[in-house]
Amino acid sequence: MTDFLQLTVAGLSQGSVYALLAVGLIATYTVRHVVNIAQGDYATLAGLGSISLVTAGVPLPVAILIALVSVTLASVLIERLVISRVKNLTTLVSIILTLGVSTLLQAIMLLVWGAEAKRLPAFPGSDLNLGGVSIRSQELWMLGALVVVGGGVLLFYEKTRWGKALRASAEQPVAARIVGISPAAASIIAFAIAGFVGAAAGVVSSPIYLSIWSGGLLLGLKGFVAAVLGGLVSFRAAIVGALLLGIIESYVAGYVASGWKDAVAFFILIIVLIIRPAGLVLRPNAVRV
Amino acid sequence: MSYLNKAALRSKTGFWPNNRGTIIGVTLLAVVILIVPFTATPAMMNIAVFSLIFALPAIGLSLLMGLAGQVSLGQAAFFAIGAYTHAILLQKFEMPGLVAAVGGVVAAMLAALLVGLPMLRLRGHYLALATLGLGFIVMIAVREWEFTGRTTGIYGYGRPEVFGVPIDNNGLFFWFVAPFVLLGLVLALNLTRSRAGRALSAVNDSELAAESLGVNTYALRVKVFTLSAGFAGLGGVFYAYQVQIVSPQVAEFHVSVELLLMVVIGGLGSVWGAIAGAFIVELLSEGLRDLIPAIIPGATGEVQLIGYGLVLILVIILLPGGLYQVVKTAWAAITSRIAARRADATGPAGAAALPGGAADGGTGEAPTRAFGGLPGEGRSGSDANDVAATSDDDAEGSAPVPTVSTPVAAGTPILEVRGLTKRYGGVVAVDDVTLTVPAGQIMGLIGPNGAGKTTCFNMITGAIAPTSGTVSFLGSEIQGRKPHVGAEAGLTRTFQNLQVFSSTDVLGNVYMGRYRKGRAGILRGMLGLQGREQYRHEEIARDILETMQLGDVSGLAAGDLPFGRQRMMEVCRALASEPALLLLDEPMAGLSGREREMLATLLRRLRDAGLTIVLVEHDVAQVMALADSVAVLDDGVLIAHGDPESVRNDPAVIVAYLGTDAEEAEAELKELEEHA
Repeated sequence: MTDFLQLTVAGLSQGSVYALLAVGLIATYTVRHVVNIAQGDYATLAGLGSISLVTAGVPLPVAILIALVSVTLASVLIERLVISRVKNLTTLVSIILTLGVSTLLQAIMLLVWGAEAKRLPAFPGSDLNLGGVSIRSQELWMLGALVVVGGGVLLFYEKTRWGKALRASAEQPVAARIVGISPAAASIIAFAIAGFVGAAAGVVSSPIYLSIWSGGLLLGLKGFVAAVLGGLVSFRAAIVGALLLGIIESYVAGYVASGWKDAVAFFILIIVLIIRPAGLVLRPNAVRV
Repeated sequence: MSYLNKAALRSKTGFWPNNRGTIIGVTLLAVVILIVPFTATPAMMNIAVFSLIFALPAIGLSLLMGLAGQVSLGQAAFFAIGAYTHAILLQKFEMPGLVAAVGGVVAAMLAALLVGLPMLRLRGHYLALATLGLGFIVMIAVREWEFTGRTTGIYGYGRPEVFGVPIDNNGLFFWFVAPFVLLGLVLALNLTRSRAGRALSAVNDSELAAESLGVNTYALRVKVFTLSAGFAGLGGVFYAYQVQIVSPQVAEFHVSVELLLMVVIGGLGSVWGAIAGAFIVELLSEGLRDLIPAIIPGATGEVQLIGYGLVLILVIILLPGGLYQVVKTAWAAITSRIAARRADATGPAGAAALPGGAADGGTGEAPTRAFGGLPGEGRSGSDANDVAATSDDDAEGSAPVPTVSTPVAAGTPILEVRGLTKRYGGVVAVDDVTLTVPAGQIMGLIGPNGAGKTTCFNMITGAIAPTSGTVSFLGSEIQGRKPHVGAEAGLTRTFQNLQVFSSTDVLGNVYMGRYRKGRAGILRGMLGLQGREQYRHEEIARDILETMQLGDVSGLAAGDLPFGRQRMMEVCRALASEPALLLLDEPMAGLSGREREMLATLLRRLRDAGLTIVLVEHDVAQVMALADSVAVLDDGVLIAHGDPESVRNDPAVIVAYLGTDAEEAEAELKELEEHA
């Protein structure tokens, strides 16, 4: 039983990373209908960047802040230089395009930081022990980041005028323009949010899960699996799905074999897509006849 | 999917093949392959061998992307399945090389069939991501499974032997692979021009229109997916032979990225492009592996990825059609210049005739212009012109009409609709409609805007599934089935918003109408054994165009026609399938007065020939004049059904159109009559 609870805790903390990435993916998908394969690379980029800063003597909070801001800017830069350059960007092309971005980012990280995994120092705080189940303070930081950052994005999109307008710009670009939202601005804001959320996931998870140049792709894809569970539109469903995914992975690693852990997400992805494809499609692109 | 079409299928193509281009191309490639081992340096030789090996999965992927309009991010999975199966059969079961190789290809195809059956029901980006997931699953499976040798993989099997000659150096291996690549190339090119290839190309233009002509999109996609995996599996077999160890690396994601890059560079869907792309990517990969450590000391690992990422982004932004587009544009420029010079020589009369055909006359290869070639060789349109000459004389009167099929006697029910209902959430778009359409009649379906006419139509043709109710056509229930089910039985339609196949010409569009009458499958298509059949159907399509006075524009891109003629072309296309029941969705909309008259005359003549026609129409006067019976929908409910005269005087119908209650309407009518 202790094992079970321990695995659940580990799963929840890992799941919170997936949840943050899912939030980033949905942020760009709802506004731009782009599936951003590079979402996970934002996390590794922020992780590796903050590690370098800390190694150079920068205090941890400052290093994290710089990493968050830089990756947010990087995401906006990617939007301006790459995403916005393609006319008639369909979701399918966006996948190929951001796959290129992801590959490029990974290669840059490989050249700058090398092939080894690196670790950011743990955030301050003391570990807890509840009835034999130990909870590391870093795991609380991770869940906290999900609540604050993920919850913040959710509230922004669902409650504020600006957030609703962003969503509207995807559904009704012309109408959105009439009420004064330019699609370009909406797209920039969405990518800024995606960059920030991804960076936050990267820095809070680095002390436990390390940062490695090639790690982002898998992280981002798991975020995507969670986003699919949320139909690519619902932040809440995606967050719940992400936490579930983390927990299931954790059980598989603990009770089956750790090597199979990474396959779980994709089995879930394929099964969900096949069983409920219609329920997952936001707006089926039915041709009007 | 529209991007794929626009980028790669932009070619406005003529119907006629350019087989000479293919033969010259393949011969040239064969000659190059023959001499490469004598001239290349050992390093180049290594690159050349891997280019050929990877060209196979790349050809497969280009078929999948160009023909089936699907993107796979997991092509490496099938490459790996082929490689592992081959290595395991050789090493653990000590099978002969040939058997092991066949085993590898079959295993890849079986795996694809198994996962393709459920996955190909997914749309666009969902399928792409599902295949990506599949790639990871295969990679993890071979890494974790004892049987596949975990992280070390499978090794310790022999090199291939051909007639006792061991293939033990790069030069020999190059020649060993080459025939398979050439064969694969020819098969793939044949496929793009076959009946199946044309159908898939049409699906990329308009899935609904293609399905309404009898194309079973899903089945074709599953077949192409499986075939594509077969190419990947064959590549894997050669890979296993060449590297002599198959480890989980072969299934890694960046292999899939590499294959995707080959296809994107080559030009989405271009088979020749895939081969060029394979060579370029291998060259790039080797070059970067040498170059980057030289620039950045200490750089190790997968440094070539930086080039992959950059090139992928740049090609998509700057050159979405890839190399294929470059070559095509260059060729068009050259030919048009030559044509211009020739025109100068022959005088202005020649110049006027050129623009239609000059641009694509000799591009040689046309993978995604699936309408670009027939296996047969050139034929002039002279005898077709004779038909035109005769039909011109009596255009209005007793001109021949396209063949129609009359499976049941006139007057007996051909289509029966019972309790047809469609709900969208709380809104009832069509409510409990019951109708019988007797054979050999024209039935008009009218009603005010938003009455549910088109929804009704879409349920009858299978474009959407009804919430409840049945549609039986010629006695078999077809509600909720895909449009191709009804189409195969002889029910076809036209569209309110035109659905032309823009990647081909007018003749190609009408030829697609013949799809239902053709038989050749993918295998026959690949082997190029359907020339005669295609030739015959092409002939019929040409005749139909002549009969319908569209013969003069048969070589023009369908999208370039004026609106009215596009509509007529859609009617021709539907008639080409020799339907028993033709459904026309607002056929008069957008037509000029004269065109309307022509169409009305044609419909009457078709009816007299035995065709059953149902038309949805806004123009009430036209319907009343044309139809044998009229059904009126209002607010989703069938409020009247009968001969035009009784419907015209039905108070409920008057109310529906005038929007007042019955007594007021009658009073108004009376008033109008008195004034008159």
